[in-house]
Amino acid sequence: MEQIPVTVLTGYLGAGKTTLLNRILSEPHGKKYAVIVNEFGEAGIDGDLVVGADEEIFEMNNGCICCTVRGDLIRIISGLMKRARNFDGILIETTGLADPGPVAQTFFADADVASKAKLDSIVTVVDAKNLPQRLKDSNEAEEQIAFADVILLNKTDLVSAEELKKVEHAIRHINSFAKIIHTERCKVPLDQVLGLGSFDLNEILKHEPDFLGAKEEHHHHGHEHHGHHHHDEDCHDEHCDNPEHHHEHGHDHHHHEHDHQHDSTITSISLTSDKPINIDKFEAWMGDLRANQGPDLLRYKGILDVAGSGQRLAIQGVHMMMEGSNLSPWKENAKRQSRLVFIGRKLDEKTLRDGFKNCAAA
Amino acid sequence: MRQLSAIHRQWNFGAPITALATDHAGEWVAAALGDGSLKLLPASAEAGDAKTVKLHNGISLSLAPDALPGCFLSGGDDGKLFSIDPQADAPALLAEHKNQWIDNVASSADGKYRAYTAGKNVYLLNEKNEVLGTAQLPSSAGGLAFSPNGKRLAASHYNGASLFWTNSKDMEAVKLLWKGSHLGVAWHPDGKILMTSLQENALHGWRLSDMNEMRMQGYAAKIHSMSFTAKGRYLATSGADQIICWPYFAGGPWGKGPLTLGSSDARLVSCVSAHPKDELVAAGYGDGMIVMAPLDGRMEVLIHPPVAETGSAVTGLCWNKEGDCLFAALESGYMMLFTVESVQKAVAHAATNS
Repeated sequence: MEQIPVTVLTGYLGAGKTTLLNRILSEPHGKKYAVIVNEFGEAGIDGDLVVGADEEIFEMNNGCICCTVRGDLIRIISGLMKRARNFDGILIETTGLADPGPVAQTFFADADVASKAKLDSIVTVVDAKNLPQRLKDSNEAEEQIAFADVILLNKTDLVSAEELKKVEHAIRHINSFAKIIHTERCKVPLDQVLGLGSFDLNEILKHEPDFLGAKEEHHHHGHEHHGHHHHDEDCHDEHCDNPEHHHEHGHDHHHHEHDHQHDSTITSISLTSDKPINIDKFEAWMGDLRANQGPDLLRYKGILDVAGSGQRLAIQGVHMMMEGSNLSPWKENAKRQSRLVFIGRKLDEKTLRDGFKNCAAA
Repeated sequence: MRQLSAIHRQWNFGAPITALATDHAGEWVAAALGDGSLKLLPASAEAGDAKTVKLHNGISLSLAPDALPGCFLSGGDDGKLFSIDPQADAPALLAEHKNQWIDNVASSADGKYRAYTAGKNVYLLNEKNEVLGTAQLPSSAGGLAFSPNGKRLAASHYNGASLFWTNSKDMEAVKLLWKGSHLGVAWHPDGKILMTSLQENALHGWRLSDMNEMRMQGYAAKIHSMSFTAKGRYLATSGADQIICWPYFAGGPWGKGPLTLGSSDARLVSCVSAHPKDELVAAGYGDGMIVMAPLDGRMEVLIHPPVAETGSAVTGLCWNKEGDCLFAALESGYMMLFTVESVQKAVAHAATNS
């Protein structure tokens, strides 16, 4: 049986999660979703298969200090899967204060859940007006951004172009890889938030040429590129979903406006290597990293050019849980380059860069 | 090991079978389906067409024998608790909890008590459906079971299990503590040992007389199914590629290894059910295979499901009262009945053909 896709909707209180949820449920896409909500019946949810969940965070006794799962989700998803299949996907609306880590880890750590359901994407709704304050007074808002594959920068109509630029910069500082979509009242084409396969190693490879794009090189080598600000002005269309735009924003802000940093501790780091990777060295390095810094590694993804292998190795992980597989051969004449990205707390760019460099095959 | 097709009768219910149970007397069998209905049959070789009872506006999450003779309890994701009498026209609604799931139901074999859980709350009722007491658990319940003599009720949850005396109204819990999320619960037939299965593919147990604890590990998957043999000498468990049977005699399970029975196949055992009288365990696999394995080393019998059903996991196994009929349910919605006679015939047939 095919695994059912699960989309996680996070966002701080009042950011517009319920609006997005109702938009997904009410649009005429012909699909049926089971919805898991955190607080039952607070704002009306239009679906007919709505389940209330009390967040129950369980530590796993597997020697992994940061390995926590959501017991309530294991219970509910296992229950939903007993049904004669009458829905096409599951939407999980987390509380405004929820840590997305245990939610994501549930899909890796619980074999029953993993066999029947797969995490499609984490979609975070942020309120353009209130985000700066939320980032100052809470860790959760920052974590929700860090874990996101897609960020709906909502309520753009309530802020000036200048404020919007600042808030986008703040987001990019935390997570420079998520797709940012500007919205008013969460108005977004649903194919931008559903069915993305963000945790699917095959999907990561499919987007390989753009995966954290060739443009990501600006990130490391392109500090002299100052001239991209004009893109911002092109981007106020609420439907703007051009990832290139967003990438460009990200690079600029990320590198050139450090003086605007709030007291955020989560950052994104992207590494590249033109030398093939020694897989044993890489595994040893990642193993140490996960053991020593697992709780601080929120998400990571990579495509590696493994020495002696014609295949591209895709990896991804959440905290200490990593998965990887050799998926498809490099294209003829393609530039074989390894790329690895981390989103996490207290990441030391130089240490990571050196560590990755040391993984190069001799 | 012999591979047989020894089916006495078969049914196709057209929706996934999520659970199978007999009443306390072992005279009726009930199958809960993924469309919310229940199928009821006499648990005998004469079982004919199943009676269909429309039950939940959703599905049954838990199915168990009811305190009333010949009846069943079902709790659903519509928040409803039903008592189902196979001979009655309609099920009786015992309780309803809006917007909650009734995850666990149980009744005592002496017919005095019923219990169920909704979220973190556990409810104790009598056979007249009067609520005797309620208690709040530290987390949502994983499992629920009455001790064999009906004097105690055990509910498992995060970081342990809670024990309640059924004759005490205040529902004061005796807490059994062990880190981790505890799922299923099983009482030893002598009522002196409580076992739980854990999220971490392991078992934990407490001997209640001295609170001596036991831990069993090494499973490949969560243990969804546990069954003590009739006299309590072994606990048969799912969760590995063989049937893992822990000995509860001669000082065991402390310091003893388990008996391993059944084919060592790529697929895992999904379901086990000990014979009501003999030291024999029936086990179902993730691909629909069924093994009948005596614990004394006699030859095991391996039974194939029909080709069309191969690959569908066994989701329920039930013996009838006499132990001469075994019902086996598959996730595909297919149910099989094996009788001693049909199995013996197939064994003899295989022997003459080989």
